[in-house]
Amino acid sequence: MTTILAFDTSAGACSAAVRSNGETLAGRYEERARGQAEILMPMVGEVVSAAGLAYADLDLIATTVGPGSFTGMRIGIAAARAMSLAARIPALGLTTLEVVAAGIDGTGTGPHTVLACVESKREDIYAQLFGADGEPMTEPMAATPAALAATTPVDGALILAGSASKPMAAALEAAGRDFRLADGPAEPQAAVAARMAEKRWTPGVSLAPLAPLYLRPPDTTGPKP
Amino acid sequence: MIILGIETSCDETSAAVVDDSAGAASARIRSNVVKSQIDEHRPFGGIVPEVAARAHLRHLDGLIGRAMAEAGADWTELDGVAATGGPGLIGGVIVGVMSGKAIAAVHGLPFLAVNHLEGHALTARLTDDLEFPYLLLLVSGGHCQLLAVEGVGAYRRLGTTIDDAIGEAFDKTAKMLGLGYPGGPRVEARARNGEPDRFRLPRPMKGRAGCHFSFSGLKTAVRHAIDGLGRAPTETDIDDLCAGFQTAAGEAIVDRTANAMETFRGLHPGANDLVAAGGVAANGALRTMLEALCGENGFQLTAPEPALCTDNGAMIAWAGLERLRAGRTDTLDFAPRPRWPLDPDAPAVAYAGVKA
Repeated sequence: MTTILAFDTSAGACSAAVRSNGETLAGRYEERARGQAEILMPMVGEVVSAAGLAYADLDLIATTVGPGSFTGMRIGIAAARAMSLAARIPALGLTTLEVVAAGIDGTGTGPHTVLACVESKREDIYAQLFGADGEPMTEPMAATPAALAATTPVDGALILAGSASKPMAAALEAAGRDFRLADGPAEPQAAVAARMAEKRWTPGVSLAPLAPLYLRPPDTTGPKP
Repeated sequence: MIILGIETSCDETSAAVVDDSAGAASARIRSNVVKSQIDEHRPFGGIVPEVAARAHLRHLDGLIGRAMAEAGADWTELDGVAATGGPGLIGGVIVGVMSGKAIAAVHGLPFLAVNHLEGHALTARLTDDLEFPYLLLLVSGGHCQLLAVEGVGAYRRLGTTIDDAIGEAFDKTAKMLGLGYPGGPRVEARARNGEPDRFRLPRPMKGRAGCHFSFSGLKTAVRHAIDGLGRAPTETDIDDLCAGFQTAAGEAIVDRTANAMETFRGLHPGANDLVAAGGVAANGALRTMLEALCGENGFQLTAPEPALCTDNGAMIAWAGLERLRAGRTDTLDFAPRPRWPLDPDAPAVAYAGVKA
């Protein structure tokens, strides 16, 4: 039996969930672009108690590692790494893009491709293509919607998901590409991350320290190295 | 009590374990692990906030693990977890605060969000058991203040900089002279061989009433002195400019501190302790000048050893410990604070920004 605590603060929401033995025991999801540093730990405390558990009952922490808001991803990763250290349990990282892609309901669509896209507050958006089986078809990347539209494969159905769906949809329309918008929350969901972590993690296997997926070097002024 | 302290507000990542049951002040710090980010920022000639935030995240959990191991402490022995909650570079503060909250949550411990400046302010109680009240000269890369320290959480600001912090002036002087980053220790080293009177630099605010500081004009005067050479400065020029700058800055600080001593004595007759804290308090020449000032005015100078003047986790753990003793804990929804004055009632000073 594996009990997992998952949370996400890396984009436009804050969410936390506890999953054990294939079942989500408790979950919270709140869309908000700011203030995750304040609400994350109280929310985590709430889902752990709502699941009827204590921190000592957890076997694994899972969190999103970006791409997304630099501050947001650091909030989640710092908390996950410290909990992992203090509770002596491993921490597993998932990308915001794969969690967004796995969060959509593709049933009844037949063969399809999912384009997950996350807002970056810039002209570029973060995006990645996934097959119907959830397997990634490209690397996570930062690119303009127009550039992404030009490289999106043209065969089969395309489902667009995530917080940057709006600019991406406009670019796909301009490129004359058919697609449909995914239903449900546009932000990554901790409950989905917990489900994915359960599938991905082999108990007893140690994991490398969580590393943020920034996809962009720091903004710096002054002389470069 | 045993407290874990976390410091991530600027360019040092640090974790420490402090224990007040040890009796002698010298035995209280069970570990104090500090990782400087100097190498990460050097290519940019100064601290880049996003580079700092990334580096804190990369290193902090490992440093916490080391601090616990070096202290020989187990999580269950801790009485609380303290983290710098501000003021400072917010990206780094968030990393420290989230790590502290997470550890506190996992082990059901009190969480203490410590004002970074309070960490500096209370260090003399960690190292020397100093009694309240005392006069504090806080001199660092981000701050330059004179405060009456009257108790835990009780501060009265007597003076602050109206423009640059003193450490900033050191760093900018070093940059103008091509000495690289961080500038403070390099300026101090070069000043040792220099002739302080060759370049006549201003002593900003000297002779004026009050205790405020200003260093922007001094920095400009250094720039003019360099330009006035009409050539690239020689090694001797650099030594002399460093000595001139350091002496001018030191005299300005001494003048302001002398005024603060008078004000402080008015508030607390009979009190006679001056504490110098913050990174610039590690400067040997400044310490010597402050010693002389204290001698003239019947004050006693306490300046923590240099490693405890620069940013470190032990001072945060200690301030957390003092706050826990006073029952001042924080909840896990604490919001990291980029600005957080020690004396919220102090009037705003013209032109003073975040450093006030």
